[in-house]
Amino acid sequence: MSDTPAPSGGGQGKRFITTTVEVEGRVESKVVELPESEPAAWDANAALRIVGQPVTRHDAREKVTGRARYTADVQLPGMLFAAFVRVDAAHARVSAIDTAPALDIPGVVDVLVAADLPRTIKVGGVKLFDSTIQFAGQPIAAVCAESREAAERGAAAVRVDYEVLPPVLTFDESVSSGAPKVRGANNLLSGFPQLVERGNVDAALRDANVVIRREYTTSGQLHSAMEPHGAVAEWDGDVVTIWESTQGVFRIRDEVASTLALARSRVRVVKDYMGGGFGAKSHAGAHTYVAVLFARRLQRPVRCVLSRAEEQTVTGHRPASQIAVTLGAKSDGALVAIDVDVRIALGIGGWAMSAAAIFRELYRCANVRTRESLAFTHLQEMQAFRAPGHVEGAFALERAMDVMANALGMDRLAFRLRNLADRDQDKDRAWSANQLEACFREGAARFGWGGWVGTGEGTSAGTEAGAEAGTEAGAEAGTEGYTGDERVRRLGGGAGNFPVGGPPHAPNDSPLPSLPHNIRRGVGVAGAVWGAGGGPPAYATVRLNSDGTIDVLSGTQDLGTGSRTILAQIAAESLGAKLEDVRVVLGDTERTPYAGTSWGSMTTASVGPAVRSASVEAQKRLLEAAGELLECHPDDLVAQESVIETRDRARRMTFGEVTRKLGNVMIMGNGSRGPNPQDVGLASFAAQFAEVEVDVDTGVVRVLRLTGAHDAGRVINPLLASSQLEGGMLQGMGFALFEENRLDPRNGRSLNPGLHDYKIPTLADTPRIDAFCIESVDPTANHIGARGLAEPPIIPTAPAIANAVADALGVEVDAVPLTPWRVLPLVRR
Amino acid sequence: MRLTINGRSRNVTPRGDESLLETLRERLFLTGTKLGCEHGECGACTVLLDGEPIYSCLALTAACEGSSITTIEGVARGDTLHPVQEAFIAADAVQCGFCTPGQVLSAVALLERNPNPDDEEILSAMSGNLCRCGTYPKILKAIHAAAESMRATSARPNDESGSSAANTVAVHTERASSRPEGV
Repeated sequence: MSDTPAPSGGGQGKRFITTTVEVEGRVESKVVELPESEPAAWDANAALRIVGQPVTRHDAREKVTGRARYTADVQLPGMLFAAFVRVDAAHARVSAIDTAPALDIPGVVDVLVAADLPRTIKVGGVKLFDSTIQFAGQPIAAVCAESREAAERGAAAVRVDYEVLPPVLTFDESVSSGAPKVRGANNLLSGFPQLVERGNVDAALRDANVVIRREYTTSGQLHSAMEPHGAVAEWDGDVVTIWESTQGVFRIRDEVASTLALARSRVRVVKDYMGGGFGAKSHAGAHTYVAVLFARRLQRPVRCVLSRAEEQTVTGHRPASQIAVTLGAKSDGALVAIDVDVRIALGIGGWAMSAAAIFRELYRCANVRTRESLAFTHLQEMQAFRAPGHVEGAFALERAMDVMANALGMDRLAFRLRNLADRDQDKDRAWSANQLEACFREGAARFGWGGWVGTGEGTSAGTEAGAEAGTEAGAEAGTEGYTGDERVRRLGGGAGNFPVGGPPHAPNDSPLPSLPHNIRRGVGVAGAVWGAGGGPPAYATVRLNSDGTIDVLSGTQDLGTGSRTILAQIAAESLGAKLEDVRVVLGDTERTPYAGTSWGSMTTASVGPAVRSASVEAQKRLLEAAGELLECHPDDLVAQESVIETRDRARRMTFGEVTRKLGNVMIMGNGSRGPNPQDVGLASFAAQFAEVEVDVDTGVVRVLRLTGAHDAGRVINPLLASSQLEGGMLQGMGFALFEENRLDPRNGRSLNPGLHDYKIPTLADTPRIDAFCIESVDPTANHIGARGLAEPPIIPTAPAIANAVADALGVEVDAVPLTPWRVLPLVRR
Repeated sequence: MRLTINGRSRNVTPRGDESLLETLRERLFLTGTKLGCEHGECGACTVLLDGEPIYSCLALTAACEGSSITTIEGVARGDTLHPVQEAFIAADAVQCGFCTPGQVLSAVALLERNPNPDDEEILSAMSGNLCRCGTYPKILKAIHAAAESMRATSARPNDESGSSAANTVAVHTERASSRPEGV
């Protein structure tokens, strides 16, 4: 009947099947419903008019005018304000709380302590208002008042008596014999180290020609979203509405409903605009429950928004890691053994994000053994932070790859290309698509990786060739091009040949001989792999209004990623509608069908196909209606730019003309995300290059430029994609150079709980960035051919920068961030 | 006391310790000005005080009497966006958008002072506005584009009757020049 839907494979008449979905490195098995039909995949030859275009952000106007409403901007009549009473000790036992002084403060209306909670509420592995304090800043009570100022004064007035206990702050402390019990039987997540081995690592290390051993450390990183966590709650009868800055409205709904024993139909969660999440805003927090409970007790709306200091100290972190790496290789450059021991001080809660996984995935190696121990400590919980685990693991792996390449006397890029994985070795399956080699080669060409652009011709020729010819230029260079010429390599090259990018305050036109005596330059490269295939369940509804405008509804959210815009593009493309006629409504559990949490680089690949399916169904109905009005068969009609025409162009109607004729007869389509293909790995890939300058007098590292070549399958919107890539690379640069969650070793309190002392990059730190996705589509992964690209860009940045610093100084760089305090000792070495 | 906000005179009665940020957000419901840190660290609360960018979280409302304040709500003229806003949209200098009002106001102030800033001048003027999404490369690009568009508009003859860009620039220049010399 219709020309688009094709039967989805594999079901054999079964309506529900079990499929696997990878989320943040975790593989989950899910039972999902098979869509009745799915559109044929957009392959490389698909003629698309709106998808793939660099259209500007649909909500940009609201954002540049200040009209976009964030959680803390929600103002409700009679609204009260809540603030927390916190205990500033990492480990303590509370003996008494006196709330009376708070209630004496003018404006204070209520106080919540543990005894007032209707049920046990667990947040991040800790009981809310528990008398045992397990991280500095753990809440013990909350105060509600007529103003935020009064709430804060009230919170400060509550008297808390507590006994400080010795805290466990590091991995070594947590696993030492006689360590105080933090959590679980032995302070280890799952009770024991996670061991994964393939091949025979010991034998392979014995047979290797070159073996290197190194130990690397990374520091704790804080998400530091510009908008702190927050919620506003209001009850209407037995229905509570929660405005929450969250990456997952349905997750918040489900957690609040389950925890407070409410029906899910009585909990509505709304997220319209949010000021960044980066992983930390995936769950209901203490602020959510406090807002909901005060609002119920007082029968008035309540706003609870965290302060900056709270945001930095209690909302989760990327934990510090220690990673010992042993690599073995043959003299011909073949990587034959990887042996890794990962030790992570998780905090008081968290999950087994795998810092070791990338060792099993990125490079071809038959013999790999990874051992991971995640220890509980008296620190805020671990929360997913953009590519959790892979960022830490990539730093250690890619540093060790450089050490090995140098030990072998090979070019560092050539060594990597020599060892690219041709399949998903960890799960022993093929990739749906993998353009990692093209990322390395095209990135190298555009960056002007010295060894790859020939000899006396200089580097800019290579860059030009790379920009024009891409892989061909690289391919030639890959086999023949490396000259080993130190001077050419050090130059880095590419002066003035970068298409777009950051401030040229970091010019590349000063040749090596003219560098000041205190400046050293170096270049580095690193790769990345990240499971980013998305998956079911995700649903969307598309409906046409009687004026021909289109609403797309889906329960996903736009964290600033641009999902609102790219889903509109997919809908307009699939419907044959004008892009400006499409409005996307997200992030409301009451208005929209289910879509999952926006994490794991999942949204585009999960929700995109659902929106396309819904749009295809709606278009089918629309054409059927138009066929009735135009007195022709629907198959004879095509839609484009919101106009329906007969194929011979003899008759036409606009969408609006059709829908106006229909009046209140609704044209709707529903779509769901089908299962992922089985036995295929779905991952996005990247290669990044960095050039740095190190001031050996001050220890200051300056990144001059970054090149990021990414493969994420089809790119729905290259403008927004480049923003994502640049942002990820800048967070990676922060991790590499500045960001460090510093704790007082005596008491576990934060030493830098603000954005002045916890340094995130500023515009003045921003290097010239050339970030791009290579031409690629992945029709095997899903029928829009796209995979995720939010997390991959943060993965290779820090190792590329650290490798460049090691290159500049000629010494091992074994820790990040590379603050002057870490760099100066390296210089003196 | 009276404040002039976005060209309108407003009567407010702040507490003595009340920040301009709190007055704008909680009394006047001008929530485009964001609270990111309340410690002068992030720049999300940037507004223009007599044409100069300030952190409204560090300014006492009581000390602003008689001053002219521009918030993000006052940058566009009706539906006509300021060239900086247009350029931010075109360059995608916006991700989550939370820091954007502050970024836009800092950029507007910069271009009023200096219609033709070079990279260094932009970095210096903008590095007090943090963005965790990392839109910096696009912000730099947008400011250059806005500067160019504003210069093109003001170079055009007869710009009094001309486009919104010229009007917007004129309004801001007037405000800036009403300050005493050297402030």
